This record gives sequence, C-alpha cells and structure tokens, in this order.
Amino acid sequence: MSSPLGRGAVRSDLEQAFRTAYPRVVAVAARVLGSRDEAEDVAQEVFLTFARSSVPAGEAMGWLSVAAAHTALNHLRSGRRRALREEAADEGGAVCPDIADTVVTLDERRRVRAALARLPRRQAVALVLRHSGLSYAEVAAALDLSPGSVGTTVRRAESALRKELNRHASSE
Amino acid sequence: MRHPSDGTLRRLLDEPDGVADADREHVKGCAACLSGLAAAQQDAAFAGAALEVAFSPDVDEGWQRLANAVAGEERRSGAMSAPAAGWRSRLRSPVVAIFGVAAILGGAGVAAAADWLQVFRAEKVTPVTAPRAELVKLPELSAFGDLEVTAKVDTRRVADAAAAQKATGLSVPLVVRLPRGVTGEPTYQVGGRVSGVFTFSVEKTARTVAAAGRTPPPPPRGLDGSRFRLGAGPGLAAIWSQGRPIPALVVARAVTPTVHSSGVPFETARDYLLSLPNLPENVASQLRGFSGAGTTLPLFVAAEKLTTSGADVGGVPATVLSSRDGAMAAVVWVDGGVVTAVAGSLGADEVLSVARGLRWGR
Repeated sequence: MSSPLGRGAVRSDLEQAFRTAYPRVVAVAARVLGSRDEAEDVAQEVFLTFARSSVPAGEAMGWLSVAAAHTALNHLRSGRRRALREEAADEGGAVCPDIADTVVTLDERRRVRAALARLPRRQAVALVLRHSGLSYAEVAAALDLSPGSVGTTVRRAESALRKELNRHASSE
Repeated sequence: MRHPSDGTLRRLLDEPDGVADADREHVKGCAACLSGLAAAQQDAAFAGAALEVAFSPDVDEGWQRLANAVAGEERRSGAMSAPAAGWRSRLRSPVVAIFGVAAILGGAGVAAAADWLQVFRAEKVTPVTAPRAELVKLPELSAFGDLEVTAKVDTRRVADAAAAQKATGLSVPLVVRLPRGVTGEPTYQVGGRVSGVFTFSVEKTARTVAAAGRTPPPPPRGLDGSRFRLGAGPGLAAIWSQGRPIPALVVARAVTPTVHSSGVPFETARDYLLSLPNLPENVASQLRGFSGAGTTLPLFVAAEKLTTSGADVGGVPATVLSSRDGAMAAVVWVDGGVVTAVAGSLGADEVLSVARGLRWGR
C-alpha cells in the first residue's frame, strides 16, 4: 500500500518482457552512465520494480526505457558511481587499444555524464531516449509531451550538450 | 508563411513523415531554414557520437540474475510476509519501513489466551538512526519464532479517490498545490488489512543468538510459545509517478500497526528482545529509550542515507526524512490511529508544504 509498484505478484510476462527490452534498457542506462556494469545494475533495478508492477504489456517498453533513463540520471545525481578503474577494466582493450586512448575515452565519458547531469531532467531524458531509438511518439508518450514538442526538447538538449562539452574542452 | 520551429526542423532529420507537407516544402526553398536544419544535423550527430554505446549485453546472463533476485524476494516475503519483509527492502523506503517495524516491537512475547489484549498501537513515530551496517544486522522476526501470515498484503489500483476511500474507509486528502515539476493526475492504490500471528520460540531465539557466537539471557516465564497478533492497514496511496521507479510524489495513509497479546506485559517482552546480545547496542539503546506504553512506532533510518528532523503538521508532531543526496524527502506523522506520509523525489520543504496544505474532504 505504500508503494505503487510494490509488493504485488510477479507478473507472468516478465521473462518475455525482459528478453525483448533488456538490450534497450541497458543501452539507455549506458548512454547516461557510460559504463556497462553500472548500466546493467540499473537495468536490474528497473526490471525488479517492473516485475511487480501493473504496467500494461503494451506500454512496457516505453515505461522501462523512461525508468532506465531516470534511474541512471539519479545515479549520476546521487554520485553512486563506481571507481574509474572499474570502468577501465570493464571496457577492456577491444574498444580502446592503448592506454592513451583509454584515458581520453574515460575523460570524455566523465564530461558527457557531467553535462547530462546539468541538463534539465526532461531534456536529458528526451535526449537519451531519442538516441536510444525511441520514436517521437514513444518519447512523447513517455514524457507526457506532445510529439511536436519532443523535437524542440531534443533540439535544445543537443544544443546544450554540445555547448557544455565544447566549453569544457576549450577551458581545459 | 512562418518558418517551422527548431523542433520541427529537428524532427525532419529523424521522422520526415511526421512533419507537415507544407513545412517540408517551405524548408526546401528557405535558406534560413536549411541553415537551421544543417545546425540541427551537426548537433544531433555530435550528441549521437557522445552518447554512443559500443556493446551488447548478455540477455541470458541478465535474465538469470533477475530471476535469482526475484526468487530471493519471494523467499523472503514467503517466510515473513510483506509487512515484515527483509530489512534491506525495509530500508529502501521509509514509508515501507513503517509497516514492518511493529513486528520487532511485538516480537517479544506473552502467553496467548483466548482474549487478545492490545499491547501495541502506534500513536507516534520516532526515528531510530544508526549506520546502515547496524540496521542490516537487526534480525528478522523469523529469527525469534514463527510468523503465520493470516492476511497478506494485497494492493490493487482503484479508479479514483472516491474508490480508494470506499475501499479503505480512510479519507483521502486533496493536494491543493502540487510542487513544481509534479504534474498530472495521481493513480490510486489501496491495500487491505494485513495480519499475522507470531509465535515466540525460545529455542529458535537461542539458535539465532548462538549463531552470532553469543548466549541468550534466560527468557521470562511464559514467553516460549506465546503468541502475538500483528496487524496494520488498510491503507491507500495517491501516486504521481510520471513513469519513474521512484515516484515524484506519494501521499499515503494507513491504519497504524497494532500488536495484540495477552498475559505478559508489553514491556517485559520488549525488554527481553532488547536484551539479546546480537542486537546492535546503538539501536537497542534507542529503542529502550521509548516510553514503555507501546505507542511509539520506530522508523529505522540509515544514518548515511538520511537525515531526520522534527516538524509540525497541523499541530501534530511529524518526522521529516531527507536523503543526504537531496534526491528524496518524506514527512510522516500519526494522528488518530492513522499514519500519513508525504514523500517523493522532492526537497524537505516541498514535502512539508504539501503535507501542511492537504485538504481533508469528507
């Protein structure tokens, strides 16, 4: 009674929903957090909530995506980030063949996360969802926006993100 | 014609079919719009590169992990029932915590007889603050005996405030002004009364204490096999969730937890439990400080996560909880046998303002 999504029975379509949506949910969280491990943790947290929710099956993908974005942004905000060295170990050599590249990549990720954390929440969520492949209609439904204003919100977020990252690149 | 908005230009990049024909035609022949479109394209490409993710997760491995976590929750709730669920889940939510804690206070004992005597009824809430590591060490009720759940938590969504009131018999407060950033209409959840009967076991208690490498003090006479009837609810919640796992705002009310017993006084039972050497001393001493009458509901608070302070809501003392990271806050108070909480991903001043502004319809 204290939690909207709380202690009901585990929904019967959980596995099906998980297998369909898990890659998307991890990708949404990873775009925010820049780390595979953290993104998978966020995905688990989101699906655990979903497991006992009464979210209609047809709305599951949208709900899970927006929940992943909010949860990941909350992780940024509350500083529940793992040590950088974990990220380095996590990403391994396949993506970044040498140390200099790894350092550059990590620094970029750090700056992207910081920039996302500074965006207004709605812009950050719209940006991440749109770049995770949700349609304008899906982003609109998830954020309670009109499809017309999704473009405006995403546009503003992209412009702000670029300014933030450029500002920091030039000041460093 | 007017130039299409930046948002329309942005959509033209992704979903040209979603843009009106007239706008598309206009852009083709308009230098200013083409320039705007090019700028939008550059920013979009930049954001795309910054947010790129270069891996695909292992779905089977992820599913296994989730299935284990769900099964773990099931085991815990099966053994304990939701109102007395595991400490970890209790700690996650100060609101949920309310419903679990009566169990610990009631978990001491008195011989059961035909006529149950009320030994605990929450009339106020007092925070018990300790490091998270110590709270996690608090034993489950099942460590002291057997809990038989007679009415499980059963929450369901109802259509509106009137239906929530009808289902629970509790009045539903109206939030006159929503905090900034909280929008839309709430959804309503109700839950019936939850209850269980706890039977104290000296042997189980001894085993629990021994497992911690300690020896329990001798139990008071009549404690072994004594039974307690625990109850809480019904309750209701109005939730502005806006798609988040942590809702933007929740206003919840429930009939406060009660413990019924007969025979041994409440204090005797409580004091025995609090004397067990496996309880963290810091927590035990705070609980001992409660007045003996069995009317104070402890609200366990992890010191690293939350700060607490006192406040006043309509003349009733209330406890304000704020997460240290500023991500959430809650205010909880008990009035007339009903506990009310206002919580959300808000600041302490915002939840207090909602609490003080609630309008109570009939």
